[in-house]
Amino acid sequence: MKKILLIIQREFLTRVRKRSFIITTLLFPLLYLALIFGTAFIGEKGQTKLKIAVLDSSGKFTKARVDSANAFDKASTLVLVNETPASLEKDFEHKGYDGFVIIPANTVGTMAPDKIEIKANRTLGTASSVQSKLNTIWNDIKYEELGIDSQKQKQLNDSKLTVQVENMQDKGSNAKIASLTGYITGFLIYFILLIYGSQVMMGVMEEKTNRIAEIMVSSVKPFQLMVGKIIGIAAVALTQFLLWIVFVFLIYNITKSGSAGNSAMAVVVGQAQEVFSSLNIPQLLFLFAFYFLGGFFFYASMYAAIGSAVNEDMREAQSLSFPITMIIIFAIFILTIAMQDPTSPIAVWGSIIPFTSPIVMMARVPYGIPGTVPYWQLFLSMGLLVGGFLFMAWFAGKIYRTGILMYGKKPTWKEMLKWAFK
Amino acid sequence: MPVLEVQNLKKYFANQKAVDDISLEISEGQIFGLLGPNGAGKTTLIRMITGIFYPDSGNIIFDGKPFDAENDITKIGYMPEERGLYKKMKIGEQAVYLAQLKGLSKRDAVARIKDWFARFEMESWWNKKVEDLSKGMQQKLQFVITVLHHPRLIILDEPFSGLDPVNSNLIKDEIYKLARNGSTIIFSTHRMEQVEEICDHIVLVNKGRKILDGTVQQVKQDFKENLFNIGFSDAFAESELNNELFDVVSASQNSMVIQKKENRSNNEILQYFLNNGASIDSFNEMLPSLSDIFIREVEGTPLARRFESN
Repeated sequence: MKKILLIIQREFLTRVRKRSFIITTLLFPLLYLALIFGTAFIGEKGQTKLKIAVLDSSGKFTKARVDSANAFDKASTLVLVNETPASLEKDFEHKGYDGFVIIPANTVGTMAPDKIEIKANRTLGTASSVQSKLNTIWNDIKYEELGIDSQKQKQLNDSKLTVQVENMQDKGSNAKIASLTGYITGFLIYFILLIYGSQVMMGVMEEKTNRIAEIMVSSVKPFQLMVGKIIGIAAVALTQFLLWIVFVFLIYNITKSGSAGNSAMAVVVGQAQEVFSSLNIPQLLFLFAFYFLGGFFFYASMYAAIGSAVNEDMREAQSLSFPITMIIIFAIFILTIAMQDPTSPIAVWGSIIPFTSPIVMMARVPYGIPGTVPYWQLFLSMGLLVGGFLFMAWFAGKIYRTGILMYGKKPTWKEMLKWAFK
Repeated sequence: MPVLEVQNLKKYFANQKAVDDISLEISEGQIFGLLGPNGAGKTTLIRMITGIFYPDSGNIIFDGKPFDAENDITKIGYMPEERGLYKKMKIGEQAVYLAQLKGLSKRDAVARIKDWFARFEMESWWNKKVEDLSKGMQQKLQFVITVLHHPRLIILDEPFSGLDPVNSNLIKDEIYKLARNGSTIIFSTHRMEQVEEICDHIVLVNKGRKILDGTVQQVKQDFKENLFNIGFSDAFAESELNNELFDVVSASQNSMVIQKKENRSNNEILQYFLNNGASIDSFNEMLPSLSDIFIREVEGTPLARRFESN
């Protein structure tokens, strides 16, 4: 036991003292935020703003109506033009329009509007903004025709039914926040499995290529060496998380105390408070730690076994670890399903089977326990994960003890299975 | 009482009998040579003694008790032929770490390492990394790490490869010193001249089997061919040397190599020469070198057998 502690200590200290650890610990949250805000930013900026010419033959699409519709939504611009259809069709592009719409003369008077075509020389993507604008104008025309004044319009609008799903078991849960939380935690575990998993693999390969493996196993059991390395690296990842959580709370508290006189900051703090109150934070943190560690032990054992089997060639390691990486990526697919429909059978089983459960369960848990995730599913999943990583560590240990002293040809998966079960 | 006793040890791999029924005994304070061509099974045998492999059958008795890998490996120091250290770790830290894994406390480890480093003039290395050392320097470091925890049994696989003569002698002296202080040393090599110089007792292994076992003198006696070298102070004519006592193997002006016939004594031969008027300068028995014995014993077997474990 003392030897395992020594190994853990070495693995932990040599990694935490590296400059790269400090840099990634500071940089990752920044990159992560940049990624989230960056995609939102690109999504907004990247959309082309359509400029559409409107040729009205009906006389009802007045400038006032078009202007008020334009004021409502900035994603596209409608411009009322006064031209012949032929000349418009000829040089709308030249005049800077993406497309044009011709409102037929007989439009007015029929209740059901004709289908209206936006004509363009290229595919415009979704024209939903244009459609909703035209509809706003159309509605306005119809209201006027039917004699519905603005007060009645308001009454009509206000009397719409809104549907809200309330989870009676988990009163506080909020589907939007839950789905976002699941996404973030699931992805964090995914990153950890891939990044720190391959660190385990490379650590084992380093021991093998530096030929220190034989010295080590003449002092400790191969299994102790493997487990010590895995736990040491898990501790590094955990340290990184703790630092991040500390950052988040520090920033939150600083913002909170500084938000007294600042309304914009108060809004942000309010939103954060809403998120915190709708989630069971201690429970979430506990389960996150559990699934992160369980999943890490499960996959790191496999990565260790692969690292022990190959020589210094990184390509060999990649080709052997490819199937494992694929399973982890597959778990992310199930995660995206579980985020939207946390009780669908694929999400439920994905969150129970140890290969995918560390990632998928994290997408379901924020929706609430025991409402969305009944206790039996949670405990079955946790039990299977513990059983799974114990089995995997045993199995990988068998491959490892043969692999680390073996040099030469790269073994196949079949040969590795033979080492484990002989 | 022997420190290590190996009884009928066997280890078979899928396509190879790596160690096939080997028994041997090593007594305390001995420098024991484990010889054999590449792929003979030496490394597999050593790995069983160091608890890295489990034997398929047979017993290992360490210090009078069945070998218990868990506890006994702290009493063994092993320097494998393929040296290995963490390249990126500082030398001092690394030595302390490896010593702690052998059961030393941190404080003892630091004190002993400082002592050894002073003796080997390595004090300035403490904060260097292994990758900054030359091969010979790494070798010295590896030796220090191997013997740091005062092991009862030290196993050295080719300890002098890559060392210059000065450092070779330095290590050799330390080996003698360790043996005098009661450590037992297994010295695995195929450099025969070193074996003749250092070892008390040797075992020759080939194809997983033991083919020779004895003290260096004993083995040489067993393989002697009754060859003698005689030196003459005057030229000696060999014309009529047909006799019942010996055959002439080769002759030159002032010396002659003869092979004594069965059941003849040295005195009879000397008498013969004296009677024939020779003035004898020297008369030496020519014992075979271990190298000759080694080559003769393993000749005709494929030398570089590939092992699953090697």
